[in-house]
Amino acid sequence: MTELKACDSCALNNTAQLQKLGINVDNTDFVVALAGNPNTGKSTVFNALTGLKQHTGNWPGKTVTRAEGGYSYENKKIKLIDLPGTYSLLSTSQDEEIARNFILFGKPDVTIIVVDAARIERNLNLVLQILEITDRAVLCLNLMDESKRHGIDIDDRTLSKELGIPVVKCSAIKKEGIPELLKTIHQVATREIICQPHRISGLSTSAQKMVEELEARVKQHYPALPNSRWIAMRLLDGDQHIIDALKNGEFETAISL
Amino acid sequence: MTLSFIFLNSTLKAILLAILGLPNPTFYMSLFLMLLAASYLLVKNRISLQFIWNPTAAKKSLIEDVLKQLYHVELSQRTTDLKMLSGALDVPLKRTVRVIESMHKQNLITSEDAHLALTNDGRSYALKIIRIHRLWEKYLSERTGFDKSLWHDLAEAKEHQLTAAQANELYESLGRPRFDPHGDPIPTELGEIIEIISTPLASLGVNTIAKIVHIEDEPKSIYRQIIKKKLHIGSHIKIIATNNLKIIFESEGQIFEFSTVVASNINALALNEQDIYEQNKIRLSALNVGETATITGISSECRGANRRRLLDLGFIKGTPLEMEYAGPNQNPRAYKIRNTLIALRNDQADLILIEKK
Amino acid sequence: MKIDKTQELLNLASELRWQVGEGFHDTLIEGIYADAADIAQKVEIKQGSVPKFSFERQLDQILTSKRFGFPIMILVLSIILWLTIQGANYPSGLLSTLFLEIIYPFLKSLSSQVGLPWWMDGFLLDGVYLALGWVISVMLPPMAIFFPLFTLLEDFGYLPRVAFNLDSAFKRSGAHGKQALTMSMGWGCNAAGVIATRIIDSPRERLIAIITNNFSLCNGRWPTQILIATIFIGALVPDHFSTLLSTLAVILVALLGVGFTFLSSWMLSRTVLKGEVSTFALELPPYRPPRIWSTLYTSLIDRTLIVLWRAMVFAAPAGAVIWLISNIPIGDQSMANQTIDWMDGFGLFFGLNGVILLAYMVAIPANEIVIPTILMLTVAHLDLLGVGVGDGVMFELDSAAQTGEILRAGGWTLLTGINLMLFSLLHNPCSTTIFTIYQETKSWKWTTIASVMPIVFGFIVTFIVAQLWGLFA
Ligand SMILES: Nc1nc2c(ncn2[C@@H]2O[C@H](COP(=O)(O)OP(=O)(O)O)[C@@H](O)[C@H]2O)c(=O)[nH]1
Ligand SMILES: [Mg+2]
Repeated sequence: MTELKACDSCALNNTAQLQKLGINVDNTDFVVALAGNPNTGKSTVFNALTGLKQHTGNWPGKTVTRAEGGYSYENKKIKLIDLPGTYSLLSTSQDEEIARNFILFGKPDVTIIVVDAARIERNLNLVLQILEITDRAVLCLNLMDESKRHGIDIDDRTLSKELGIPVVKCSAIKKEGIPELLKTIHQVATREIICQPHRISGLSTSAQKMVEELEARVKQHYPALPNSRWIAMRLLDGDQHIIDALKNGEFETAISL
Repeated sequence: MTLSFIFLNSTLKAILLAILGLPNPTFYMSLFLMLLAASYLLVKNRISLQFIWNPTAAKKSLIEDVLKQLYHVELSQRTTDLKMLSGALDVPLKRTVRVIESMHKQNLITSEDAHLALTNDGRSYALKIIRIHRLWEKYLSERTGFDKSLWHDLAEAKEHQLTAAQANELYESLGRPRFDPHGDPIPTELGEIIEIISTPLASLGVNTIAKIVHIEDEPKSIYRQIIKKKLHIGSHIKIIATNNLKIIFESEGQIFEFSTVVASNINALALNEQDIYEQNKIRLSALNVGETATITGISSECRGANRRRLLDLGFIKGTPLEMEYAGPNQNPRAYKIRNTLIALRNDQADLILIEKK
Repeated sequence: MKIDKTQELLNLASELRWQVGEGFHDTLIEGIYADAADIAQKVEIKQGSVPKFSFERQLDQILTSKRFGFPIMILVLSIILWLTIQGANYPSGLLSTLFLEIIYPFLKSLSSQVGLPWWMDGFLLDGVYLALGWVISVMLPPMAIFFPLFTLLEDFGYLPRVAFNLDSAFKRSGAHGKQALTMSMGWGCNAAGVIATRIIDSPRERLIAIITNNFSLCNGRWPTQILIATIFIGALVPDHFSTLLSTLAVILVALLGVGFTFLSSWMLSRTVLKGEVSTFALELPPYRPPRIWSTLYTSLIDRTLIVLWRAMVFAAPAGAVIWLISNIPIGDQSMANQTIDWMDGFGLFFGLNGVILLAYMVAIPANEIVIPTILMLTVAHLDLLGVGVGDGVMFELDSAAQTGEILRAGGWTLLTGINLMLFSLLHNPCSTTIFTIYQETKSWKWTTIASVMPIVFGFIVTFIVAQLWGLFA
C-alpha cells in the first residue's frame, strides 16, 4: 500500500501514463462505465480518474443523469461514464433504466463496479446482476479506509476467484489504489485479462429449470447475444422493457454494432 | 398594427371598466363561489350527465352493469326482478325497463315469471366485463399509487371502456395474473373461471388455523373497516372465540375483533396441521429499540414498486435485522440490515413479517 | 421472419411465466441474495470485535432524539440563513457598486463617445446590462454562501437525519421527509431546490416537491420582503420596535410559505397526483468528514454558477423588454404607462396596483429585479421629476425612507404593502425555475400546474385580504 501511495503523486499527476482529459472525450479507444450502489464513491472514483469535479455527496441518489469524462492511459484514450447509483437492475425505476440500458446497449468495454467494502453482502446483489449482463468488469472495492475502521477487511483474492473478475482495493478519496485500478481497467479493456464472471446459482431447482429452458430458446434465436441467461430471467419476470426491446429489434442492433 | 392594438386595448379597457363599474365586490365573490359549486356538481354527477353527451356509451355501460349484477345474483343462488334490479343499480325503474327490453332483443337475458336470468351469451358477456374489471384492479394495485379504497370505483368506470384486445394486452403485460388483488379469480379470455373453495370467517370453528383468501370490496363501508385494521389476503389467522355477534381471532401477533356482519365479508381457507403456522410470526413494526429479529417474509399486500424496493434493499426471508432507533414521532424507524441503516415508515413495517430472536 | 422468431420466444416466455406463478421476482432476488450471502461469508474478515456503542450510534441517538432533534435542526438552519442574509450584504454592496456605479457610467460615457444611437444605448445598457448587473449582484453572494454551507452538511451526512426527523410531518400531507431539504434549498434558490428533488426516489413525492418548491421564499425575494416590511409595517410602531416588527413580518411570510407547501402538497397528493407510484425507503448513510475545499469548489460550480448562468440568460431579454415598453409610445403615452392604467383597476381589486402587476409580468425571469422595476415604473408613471434616472432605467435608492416616499406618492398604502409581500410569496415561479421544472419533469402538464397553482393562490389570498380590509378599515 505504501508503495502505491508513494507512486500516487507521481503517476497520477505528471507521468505520461495517466493524462486526465476532463470532458474532452472525442475519438476514444475504450468506453468504461462506472456502476454501483448509491453512495459508494463512484463519483469520487470518477473524479480521481478524470480530474473533473463531479458533484459528490454523502447522500444516496446524487448522480441521476449520467456524467461523462475521459482520461488517457498508455496511449489509449478512455471515455468514462458515471452511471446513476442503483440498488438493483430489476426494478425498472428511472435510474435503473439508465444504468441498465447503458450496460446492455451501450456496450462499455469495461464496467467498473464500485462497492462499499463495509457492506459487501448488500452490494453483491447489484454486482451479481451486472455480471449476468456483461462479462468484462472490474470490482473496485472502495471505502477500504472506512471499512478497516469498522474492523472489516476483505479477502480480495477469494473474492476475485468467486466472482471471476479482477478485484482492486481502493480508498478513492485518498487516491489509494487508483494506479492499480487504472492498470486493471487497461488489462481488461485490452483483453489481457479475460473474465469468467460468476453466474447466479441460488435459484430454486424448478425456477432454475425454467430459466434454462427459456435460455436455450433465446440462444437458438439470438446466438450472438452474450447475456442470454439474463434475458431469459427478465422474460420470466415479465420485464416489459426487455419484451419491447426484443420486439423492436434493439438487441439485434446492439449485436451488430 | 398599432391601430389594431389600440382597438384591442380600448375594447379590453371598456370591458374591464364595465365589469369594474358594477357596484359590489361581493358580487364577484358569490359569482366565483357559484361557478365553483356548479363545477363541483358537474364532476360529481358525471355518470348521469353522460346520458346527455354520449347516450350510446351510457346505455352500453348500463347494459353491462345489469349483466354483472345478474351474474352475481346467479352466483349467490338468489333471484331478482325488475324492481330489485333497479334498486340494486340505483337506476330509475323506467330506464331499467327500457334497457331490459333491449337486452331481451339482443338475447342477453331471459325472464321467467318476472325473474330475470342470464342467457349463455349474457353470461359470457358478463364474464368479459368481470375480467376487465379484475384485470384493471390488478393493474392499479401493481403499477399505480392509487389507494386500495379507490380501485373498485376506478375499475367500475374502466370496465366499460376497454376492448377485449386491450384487455388481453393488459393481461400479458401484467404477467398473466390469476387473481385480482382482493383474491377473486380473473376469468380467462374464453370465459372460464376458477372456483375458489373458501369459508366465510364467521363459520370457522374455534382454534381453526386458516389463511385469508378473499376480502369482499363491497359494501364500501365494511371494506374500509377491514382494510383500516390492516388485515390482508394471505395473512394466517387463528380463531380464538366466536359467537352470534362477534368473532375474535389472532393474526401476526395481534388480536382482532369483528362483528359477524363484517366477518362475513372475509373468506378464509382452513389450513392443515402440516401447513406451517408460526405462532411467533409478528409484524416488523412491533419490534422495539435494540431488539433483533429474522425476516420471515413480505406480505402479499406489499405490491409493485414498493415490494421491489424492499426486496432490493435486502428485506428478504431469513435476513436478520435490528431495530436501531425511532424518530421523534416513533415514525419512521431505522433498522440495521446487512450493516446498513434503513428507515421505514410504520405502515410499511406492518407488511414485513418477522420472528423475534 | 424475425417477428415470428421473437413472437415465438415471447409466447414460450408467457407460458413459462404462467407456470412459475407471480412470485418469480421474489424467487429471483432471494436467489441472488443467497449467492451474495454465501460469497460475503467467504471473503469477509472481521478483525476484532466492533464496539457496540460507537460514536456514530451516539451521534444518531442525539440528532434524532425527541428532545434534541428539532432544536438542533432549527439552530442549524437559523445559523445558515443568518450567515447567508448577513454575509451577503457586504459582497452584494461591492458588486452593485462595481456594476452599477463604476462600470455602468463608464459604459455610458463610452457609448456616447462612440456615438451609439440613443435607442441602441438605451436597449443595451439601460435594459440588458442593468438587468444583468442587478441579477448578479443580488443573486450571486447569497447563493455563494448558502449552497456551500448546505453542501457541507450534506457531505457530513446530517441531511438524511433531518429528513428522518421530519418525515412524519411531511407524510401527513402526502409528501416525503426529504422534501424538508429541497424546501430549505428553495430558500436559497427555487431552481436549485427543484434540481435537488432528485434525491427523492419516489415518483409521486418527487413531483410534489417540485411543484411546491416555489412556496419557499427564495433569496431573490427576501430583499423585497425586508424592504417592503421596513417601509410599511415597521412604520406602524415607534422606531426602536420597527426592526423587530418588520423582521417578524418577514418570518411570518416565510412560514406562511411553509404552510402553503403543506397545504398544496396535501391537495396534490389527493387529486392530480394520487395515481402516481409512491414508495418510501430512507437510507441513513454513515457520517463522513466533509472535505471543505473540494466541497466549496463543486457547490460553487455545480449549483451556484449553473443557476446564475440560467438566471442571466433569462434576465437579459427581460431588461430589454422593460426598456422597450417604457420607451415605445402608443399615442401620447408609453406602452408601460398605457398598460399600467389599463390594469390599475384590476390590481386595486386585489389590493395591488397596475405597476405591481406589470412589474411581475416583465420581471418573470428574476425576482431580483422586481423592486427596481416597480420604482422605475412608478416614477415614470407619475412623471416625477428629479427622481430616477430616466424612462426604462431601473434604479434603487439607498434609503428605505426615500423608497417609501416614492411608493406612497404612487398611491401605496399599508394594504398594498402587505399584499405585495403576499403576492411576492404567492406568484408564478421565475422563468429560470419554470424552465428547470420542465427539464426535470419533461412534462408540460406538471410544468403548467407548478406555474399556475401558486398564482391562483396568490390572487385568492390577496383578494380575500383586500376585501376583508375593505370591510373593516
Ligand atoms: N472515507 C472515505 N470516504 C469516501 C471514499 N470514497 C468516497 N467517499 C465519500 O463517500 C461519499 C459518497 O461519494 P460519492 O462519490 O458521491 O458516491 P456515489 O453516490 O457513488 O457517486 C462522499 O461523501 C465521499 O466523500 C473513500 O475511499 N473513503
Ligand atoms: Mg455520484
